[in-house]
Amino acid sequence: MFKYFLKRFAAMLVTLFLILTLSFWVIRLMPLSIFENPDISPEIQQKLEEKMHLHEPMVVQFGYFISGVLTRGDFGTSVKIRPGMDVLEIIWERVPTTMILNAASLILAIPLGILAGTIAALKRGKMTDNLISFLIVIFISVPSFVFASLLQYLFTLQWPVFPTLYLTHASTTGQIVASMVLPVIALSLGPLATIARYLRGELIESLSSEYMLLARTKGLTRGEAVVAHAFRNSLVPIANTIIPLITGIMGGSLVIEKIFAVPGIGGLLVDSIMAGDHFLTVALLMMYSVTSLLTIFIIDVSYGIIDPRIRIGGGQE
Amino acid sequence: MIVDRDHLPQELADLPEELFVRVKDRPEMDQVSKVRADSFYMDAFRRLMKNRVSVLSICVVLLIIALALLVPQISGYGYTEQNVKLKNIPPRIPVLEKLGIADGTRTVIGVKPSALNNTSRYPEGSVLKVLRTYTVSGKEACDALVDMYVFAGVPEGKYYFFGTDYLGRDIMTRLFKGTQISLLIAFISVITNLIIGVVYGSVAGFYGGTVDIVLSHLAEVLDGLPYIVVTILFMLLLGSGMFSIILSLTITGWIGTARLTRAQYYRFKGREYVLAARSLGVPDRNLIFRHILPNAIGPLITRTMIAVPSAIFSESFLAYIGLGIKPPEPSIGVLLSSGQSVLLQYPYQTLFPAILISVLMVAFNMLANGLRDALDPSERGRLQ
Repeated sequence: MFKYFLKRFAAMLVTLFLILTLSFWVIRLMPLSIFENPDISPEIQQKLEEKMHLHEPMVVQFGYFISGVLTRGDFGTSVKIRPGMDVLEIIWERVPTTMILNAASLILAIPLGILAGTIAALKRGKMTDNLISFLIVIFISVPSFVFASLLQYLFTLQWPVFPTLYLTHASTTGQIVASMVLPVIALSLGPLATIARYLRGELIESLSSEYMLLARTKGLTRGEAVVAHAFRNSLVPIANTIIPLITGIMGGSLVIEKIFAVPGIGGLLVDSIMAGDHFLTVALLMMYSVTSLLTIFIIDVSYGIIDPRIRIGGGQE
Repeated sequence: MIVDRDHLPQELADLPEELFVRVKDRPEMDQVSKVRADSFYMDAFRRLMKNRVSVLSICVVLLIIALALLVPQISGYGYTEQNVKLKNIPPRIPVLEKLGIADGTRTVIGVKPSALNNTSRYPEGSVLKVLRTYTVSGKEACDALVDMYVFAGVPEGKYYFFGTDYLGRDIMTRLFKGTQISLLIAFISVITNLIIGVVYGSVAGFYGGTVDIVLSHLAEVLDGLPYIVVTILFMLLLGSGMFSIILSLTITGWIGTARLTRAQYYRFKGREYVLAARSLGVPDRNLIFRHILPNAIGPLITRTMIAVPSAIFSESFLAYIGLGIKPPEPSIGVLLSSGQSVLLQYPYQTLFPAILISVLMVAFNMLANGLRDALDPSERGRLQ
């Protein structure tokens, strides 16, 4: 078991290194110089290039970059968005906003998704189920940015209930909370529908299983049997859709944050790409990579813990 | 019963000629199991056609494809044709305009009442009605309903069904041209992924052993790369454009298909018909592609169908973060994101791309669901 974890962990580190290497080369192979700025005088430009070791061969540069990252956690300094500032510092400034927004959307999405999925499964084939299933298809198919636009149009132009954009410096907390409502709803619709769809599928399977029949024969009421047996068994597979949502809390949604001008991680990534602030882009991409790899790792490990049959790492399909 | 061809028992020799028909050409059902003797895919196709939602989705998808091919040809506008004088003209549609929807009018807010009478700014007949008059910091102002077609001097009888954008380009032409490009990106990337995935997965699954281990580990390493990160990196490297989008969607896109194909091969390669073919000396190439693949293809079809809407989504997503198609070429994502930036002033510029992408995505997802149900072997032979 321990060996299995270790193996997965090593694989994760290898992948991470691969991403780091790939990002470095991609960014350096781009045609433009990192400091494409006519306002900077040639001497300063040269000083900067020397400081960043840009006159050395690429392999040596790569060595500097890797050792900087590994020993000091130094991803370099921003050159366009906040010139001169350490990129990690910029990122840490943005993390809380994104986390609060994503956490709020999960608090909305998980319970509602579980509720909707359960109701749909219990009322299978009835009007309620058809309605919920229809909504699930809509929420899964229609892109989140379309919903974001729709919400923004309806609730800020037609019925001006909420602010158009995310407010950073509002006078009252109430205003900030009000400005968070639309992005949170836009963020939660997709996860909500995903959870509901999986849970509905799993529950329908559990409800028609033999252990449910046994539970009813033992004298449990339908409600008791559903809660104690069917529901609990269905939650195991659902964990695999919920874990990425929870770990994904750090990385903001790129498009939603851009639409509502949220000063979070996703918006920062979009800005850094558009501005060509490559050190910042690399650091952000690394952050997204670490999150996603950790998620895969946690899911793998949780599989092993939840289901002993998967515990052995090799061979079996 | 074993009989000699030259000494057939009388009851067999007397069988009428019309009974000797291939099973699949026989119209009536099997008397015992009450099913038709169709091939698996015929059966699946019939079940798909029985499903009303699937048929509707197919119709919607075909309709959108037809519109995407036709509209840019017959609309009368070029998709990059600019006319700055006619910018941001609201939509006007022949029949609906009588009902007051899409009639080419726009409420202009906060103009001086005297300006409305100035015919050099507001030509004769352009102001339909003054909605309300009020005073802002001592000055009189009013909201007026203006016929933008008269206001901008659009020639009589000329219609912009979906309006125009900030450069005066016809949105309908651009939208359907954009649909063409988005669908092209989706189809090419999905087909490329399918081909790479099937070949890779087939080889890994068919040969097994060391080949499988090496190929699977290689795929696993690539698969560990987060999708957003890889796509963004490749778009940065290659620059915006259709080819780069297709390439960045194929870098890791094929892995899922490869894994599925490999699993299918593990399922089928031990079957008797493979053994039979092998003992007849069929070369590996034919075993892989002629004997096993046709049987393994069911789940691959479903997967491919699901990949189409997600490729369309990815294209729009890239457009939103500024890495999409090169302007002035349109795509659904480009139109959506440029509409989003003027959403509060000209909502119709977002409305039409948003409706189109939503309908397209729902139709493809419904179709994929229908295909999955139709190709489910446990449903085999069911007529309901």
